Amino acid sequence: MSAPFIWIFLPLIIGGLSLFITRERLATIVGGVTAILLTGAALIVPIDEALGFGSFSIKVASSFQILGRNLTLDAAEAPLLTILFGVAALWFIGAESVGVARRLTPFGLIIISLLVASIAVQPFLYAALLIELAILVAVPLLSPLDQIPGRGVIRFLIYQTLGMPFILIAGWLSAGVEASPGDLALTIQSTMMLGLGFAFLLAVFPLYNWIPLLMEESSPYIVGFLLWLLPTVTSILVMSFLDRYVWLRTSAQVISALRVAGLLMIVTGGIWTAFQRHFGRMMAFAAVAETGFILLALSLDPVTGLPIIFLLLIPRGLGLALWALSLSVLDSNTKSLHFSSVQGMARTYPLASAGLILSALSTAGFPLLAGFPPRLALWNGLSQQSLSMAFWLLIGILGLAAGAVRMLAVIVMADEKTVWASKESWAQRGMLGIGMIGLFILGLFPQAANSILDKLPLMFQHLGH
Amino acid sequence: MLILITALLLFLTALAVVILQIMRPEFRFTWLTAVGGTLLAWISVLLWQANMPLSFSVLPWKPANLFSESPAFSAETIIWPYALSLVTLAVSILLTASVNETFTSAFVWAGSLTLCGLGLLAVTAANPLTLALVWAALDLTELIIMLRSVNDSTSSERIVISFSTRAAGIGLLVWANVVTAASGKSLSFLTTPPQVGLYLLIASGLRLGVLPLHLPYSAESTLRRGFGTTLRLVSAASSLALLAHIPASSLASPLTPLLLILAAIAGIYGGWMWLRAPDELIGRPFWMIGLASLAIAAALLGNPTGTVAWGTALILIGGALFLASVQQVWISRALLVGAFSLSALPFSLTASGWQGNVSGFWYIMPFPLIAQALLMTGFIRSALRPSTRASLESLPIWARGIYPVGIGLLFFAQILLGIWGWNGALQIGTWEAGFVASLLTFGLLWAIPRFPALNPVPAHWVQPSSASRLDRLYQNLWIIYRWLERLSKTVSDILEGDSGIMWTLIFLVLFISLMTQGKP
Repeated sequence: MSAPFIWIFLPLIIGGLSLFITRERLATIVGGVTAILLTGAALIVPIDEALGFGSFSIKVASSFQILGRNLTLDAAEAPLLTILFGVAALWFIGAESVGVARRLTPFGLIIISLLVASIAVQPFLYAALLIELAILVAVPLLSPLDQIPGRGVIRFLIYQTLGMPFILIAGWLSAGVEASPGDLALTIQSTMMLGLGFAFLLAVFPLYNWIPLLMEESSPYIVGFLLWLLPTVTSILVMSFLDRYVWLRTSAQVISALRVAGLLMIVTGGIWTAFQRHFGRMMAFAAVAETGFILLALSLDPVTGLPIIFLLLIPRGLGLALWALSLSVLDSNTKSLHFSSVQGMARTYPLASAGLILSALSTAGFPLLAGFPPRLALWNGLSQQSLSMAFWLLIGILGLAAGAVRMLAVIVMADEKTVWASKESWAQRGMLGIGMIGLFILGLFPQAANSILDKLPLMFQHLGH
Repeated sequence: MLILITALLLFLTALAVVILQIMRPEFRFTWLTAVGGTLLAWISVLLWQANMPLSFSVLPWKPANLFSESPAFSAETIIWPYALSLVTLAVSILLTASVNETFTSAFVWAGSLTLCGLGLLAVTAANPLTLALVWAALDLTELIIMLRSVNDSTSSERIVISFSTRAAGIGLLVWANVVTAASGKSLSFLTTPPQVGLYLLIASGLRLGVLPLHLPYSAESTLRRGFGTTLRLVSAASSLALLAHIPASSLASPLTPLLLILAAIAGIYGGWMWLRAPDELIGRPFWMIGLASLAIAAALLGNPTGTVAWGTALILIGGALFLASVQQVWISRALLVGAFSLSALPFSLTASGWQGNVSGFWYIMPFPLIAQALLMTGFIRSALRPSTRASLESLPIWARGIYPVGIGLLFFAQILLGIWGWNGALQIGTWEAGFVASLLTFGLLWAIPRFPALNPVPAHWVQPSSASRLDRLYQNLWIIYRWLERLSKTVSDILEGDSGIMWTLIFLVLFISLMTQGKP
């Protein structure tokens, strides 16, 4: 038994088999239970250490060889697996209440296993290929086989695929840089290629126009799942690159580019959120800003920046899940998510509306909600580097807050005849309630997840030490 | 620990009341339970004096290297009057509820107690982080309550605007924290650095509706006496307490005279509208703006003690007037104790209201004094106004005994604070200012029957939604917003259109060339 088998091949196989499931409830149970069991395993099962049961003991090896390549998941990666599968469990369990479990469970499990493989693969250059595979699997998830793919899906595929060759070339050039560190031209070329590759994968400004398009034409819940998962794993890969190559993490230009890109994403994402008239597009731009927060944290001194990135992970996953679930509940009960269609729905769908507003406020860093502690830490850290940069962050956050307030204004603006009633199903109420309580718990007690988060820096040998 | 005990007493009493109402709706002693728990909280606040200053920390936020401050509460002598005022208000609301039409609604009592508990946590917040958290809790609670209480879309819109203004106040508070962090320090109310004083003042002014002057709520018809009073006064107290933490030295700025003028304008506006309000509940928002502007003026004059004087006056004097729902000659006369408390005369609650750098701003001082006189005149008229309210004698005998105690407790607290309240209590103060304000008040009282302009306007005239210069300003801002919206839509259409990929690649090349500019 090996760790890659448990956290890569097992979900891959279960995902593949669940393609044949025809009932929503069963798909939810399979997806949810698998993710919960894998989360529990990541918490309990020690990797590369003997686990004794009386006279019987087993050892979960960290490596697995396939096609001449190594897949390695050691003990340091266990907290990340806990977070990934733990948050995924929320997505899978919530999928039934919005009727997408039969699509999300199989493809979601396959995508997660491929992305975990991208973190585990050695040489890690192959990560780009595994991410590309995950993106290809995401296409039928976004656009069912009997449906013509829209412009958003095509653009998603184009932009994400364009990232792969750049990363492959960068990896090839990086080997040359390591061999001859003094070759400045090679270093610049390699950095450029890497930057471009990750810019496409992370949908850095202005390469994110597929996100709002996707939110308009696909299920908000499924797009939300991808917007949570893909940037999270890609950010870990960026950190792996920075950890591996000393010339990257010590380059002032790289740090500066990360900071500018992060701020651009937050500012443009925030401002665009404030001016949208479609709830789905608002979530899209807020998700862009969320990725910007990670890049910005990455540009700080690693001792400060790394814990902030990890602190961002769970609130980001929870916030997007709640936002997507709320949007899906509203979406399934109205013509579209345009302002004119959703106006006044707070009276008939109060919990979904509350979930929507709280997750939007959390993204904007409203105190008491999960997004606040990491944003405060990020803001304080950035202000110590530059107060003007902190001011730009303020602009972005103001945009996000303005978007949340606009959303609130529209959704509560009902006519006098509409009476208050909760039309959500019990399953929806339960999931929305859990999400909202989670946002408040993490907002008041950010230390709640500290036992998992404080081990995450061990994944990296140089960053954060 | 005493802070926690008092807050827990309020929250647990609220919880007990809710549980009793749900599990045993016929239980006859729910009200007594509520009053008993709240009285215990009141006694516990008095006990704070034995151990001042108090402090209490919640679980520290981690990782420790990211969070230099964690949620914590502290009570010093300057903050204690707010704590006593809030808990006194909670007791008074329950006691006076015995004559209200909502007497049977235990959920209203629970809501009032919860709000007072949150208010108590806000006034005892030891750092901006804690205050931001409590403000957020209060704002979300208020948002939900207000949205449930209105039916039409215009009122809903106003509630959202009010929420966003308050949220902007929280934003400024957090920004003050960021500015402090930029200098490598952490922001605590014990060591407020000079560079953030103005941010804190504007944050408080924004939430109080003074800086800039705005009045988002209309007549608040469904939330009138008990619960509406709690909501408005607790919210104001939570914002006013911040002013007491601003050291005088941090407000020495070229902007100070301008802010003082703005506060004076808001005070005169609030005082004038309060004077002409047809009844005290319609005038309540103006009372709050008027007194809050005096508190802000005191802060700008470098007088944190004065802010507490005006702040507690807002809660206690206003609370007594707004809760007085029954007609009785002696209660009406007793309400005039409030006029003395408001006068800034020696040994009154507000005796320390006009200390500080008054002589440095002598040219602005007449305006806050006019505002004070307008507020006092309006108060006296409201207290003595004959009304159609039920008389005390028509109530059951037990209510006749309890109701005056509820109102009397607020007077008692005014006198108690004037004598024993804080370091600035029991003093002569700037008696000249109090004397001038009192003279003006007598002048206005003389003029009221003689000048129709000073008489109350019909209720439907007092509409904050009526077109004003401020509304026109907001309309102009809305036009700019719509223009920016069109601009952003154009950019989005270009990037998401058929030629979008080409445009994004051009932007990308531009971005890279900018980033590598000047590099080999």
